[in-house]
Amino acid sequence: MKFLRSLFFGDRFRMLRASFWALLFSLAAGALILFLMGKNPVSAYANLLQGAGLLPKLKYAGRQNQLTDFLSFLDAMTPMVFASLSVATALRAGFFNIAVPGQMLAAGFCAHIVMAALGDALPSPLAKILVLVIGIAVGAALSACMGWLKYRFNVNEVVTSIMLNSIVMYLVTFYINTFYVNPITRQSRPISDAARLTLSGVRWNGLKADFALAFPLAILAAFLLRTFLERTTYGFEIRALGLSRGAARYSGISLGQTTLLTMAISGALGGLAGVAYFCGCFASIQPGTMPGMGFDAIAVALLGGGQPLGCVFASFLITIISEGSVYMSSRLSVEPEIASLITSVILIFSACSASFGGRRGGHD
Amino acid sequence: MTELLNMVIIDGLSFALPLFIMAIGGIYSEKSGITNLALEGFQGVGAFAGAFAAVFLAQYTAGPMPCYFSFLFAMIGGGVFALLHALLCIRFRANQVISGVVMNILAVAMTTFLTKRINAAVFGNAGNKFMLGTIARFTVPGLSDIPVLGAIFTNVYPFEGFILVVAAVMSCVLYCTPFGLRLRACGDNPHAADAAGVDVNRVRTVAVVISGCLSGIAGMSFAYSISANFSADIFLGYGYLSIAALIFGNWTILPAFWACLLFGFAHSGGMALILRLGLPSSYNDLVRILPYVLTLVLLIFFSRHNRSPRALGEPYEKGKR
Repeated sequence: MKFLRSLFFGDRFRMLRASFWALLFSLAAGALILFLMGKNPVSAYANLLQGAGLLPKLKYAGRQNQLTDFLSFLDAMTPMVFASLSVATALRAGFFNIAVPGQMLAAGFCAHIVMAALGDALPSPLAKILVLVIGIAVGAALSACMGWLKYRFNVNEVVTSIMLNSIVMYLVTFYINTFYVNPITRQSRPISDAARLTLSGVRWNGLKADFALAFPLAILAAFLLRTFLERTTYGFEIRALGLSRGAARYSGISLGQTTLLTMAISGALGGLAGVAYFCGCFASIQPGTMPGMGFDAIAVALLGGGQPLGCVFASFLITIISEGSVYMSSRLSVEPEIASLITSVILIFSACSASFGGRRGGHD
Repeated sequence: MTELLNMVIIDGLSFALPLFIMAIGGIYSEKSGITNLALEGFQGVGAFAGAFAAVFLAQYTAGPMPCYFSFLFAMIGGGVFALLHALLCIRFRANQVISGVVMNILAVAMTTFLTKRINAAVFGNAGNKFMLGTIARFTVPGLSDIPVLGAIFTNVYPFEGFILVVAAVMSCVLYCTPFGLRLRACGDNPHAADAAGVDVNRVRTVAVVISGCLSGIAGMSFAYSISANFSADIFLGYGYLSIAALIFGNWTILPAFWACLLFGFAHSGGMALILRLGLPSSYNDLVRILPYVLTLVLLIFFSRHNRSPRALGEPYEKGKR
């Protein structure tokens, strides 16, 4: 009884309630859009679940079934978990990490280049570990630079992020188009299977499945991050910085050091998202585009209430929409853009979720 | 050599002026206390509305009418879309940075979706863009014969003149009218403004809508010049560039103008350099970095002395001290 009361009215679950309402409102709005287009919203949402491997489809192609769909769903979800964790970490310290797309691209690109230079010199497990290390290092370095600029020169981190995204995007595009293009696909040359973080097209029990090796790592990262933020001194300092800068400085927390640490952790997670995306889900980089997932991650982190485990659940939901949309659009013959439309409506509602959470307890 | 210089000036201006009008929009919004990262989305939605109006009208009338109307509708479209940002930031007290990012995501998703739908439903083709073409340029006789500076009056897009006129009017409004004073007061000390009888939230809403209208002009200009159509390619990050320009200009209009000119000439100068050196077109991507790197480096030097409006990013709450 007490638990139920705290679930519906208490302060502890305020964020959870806010996210729940945001989701409910936006699904209703999405249903309305679909209804106005003359489609059946219920079957559309069922199709989303089927496409993501959570419900069985009517029929499957050879060597495919619900399990393989679900495995590729997990594959697509992995980078989203990392990316939203990255945003959430920065958010806890009161920063906005809008540079996740840039960090992803830079990390994925560096991993590609290094792996191509090494060739087949490394055995498979070592190569995969090296890819992860490169991702962490590149992302953390880029992001720490931003933290340093913010702390040392008072450059707004939002502006630096935006500039960095564009600079990285054009540099990578230039390099790939000039030196590293696959002339047939017009993308970068694919990364070797030995280094790729997703085992793609594995024959198994008569099925052909994709195994995302980074997925357990993403879940582990969420739990580690939670422990780090809630149970360690550094985590406490990060949260203190986010709650009140002045109070944090007054109590002797080093602003510069904490800013750098937060940005480095956030960047490392962004870099991991990058390698999970460009060296996992996909084997090559498409020049001239930024991974839109990096922007979606901001909203996913919000939907998750800025909590690591919340991010995992929010990524799960958003990935259902993005993964299931292909199947839905082919079944209902609607534009696949409807999925990103629904996603952005969810983002809008979660952006103003503070208004949904009900009355704030205590003094505010 | 002079030809190259002329090209740098002509292309630089046609790139810098839309950025400038968008930066003025950003200044209006931020001076009133609403952080505006959504300029990118505003200009895209404005361009979408304008391009739709132009293509729709072109079915019935030829001549310059569709073009005039497209700018009108671009302003309306940008303004209406901006109303949503105002609603989120002011009524729902959403975090303004997040609301801005979300507006941009929504703008891309919505315009691509609607462009496809409208193309199929109204025009009966299956394209994902509205074809516009570029508008005819004109050359001012006499003035264009001045050496070097004559390039300013050569091959001018009509919208450049329009933008300069609007910019002059808008800076008068911001700095010389009671409304402008109130708007700036709302961004620096909303409680004092409220005590003086200003409806803070209404002024802020108006400011955000103005920024949407001005961004719409910019988006339509890009659609008529650089891209020559409307498609998702309009979202190239120019909105962010103009935000950098306004921060650079310390939230004042004239310095923001110089910043925009700098970006414009860095952009066109880089392109001219590639042309001159005879490098392949893939090197264009390399010089596109120039304005961004320039911004980053200059921001490092200038950010110390920059002072944003004091109440920027904070929703106005009456009872708060």
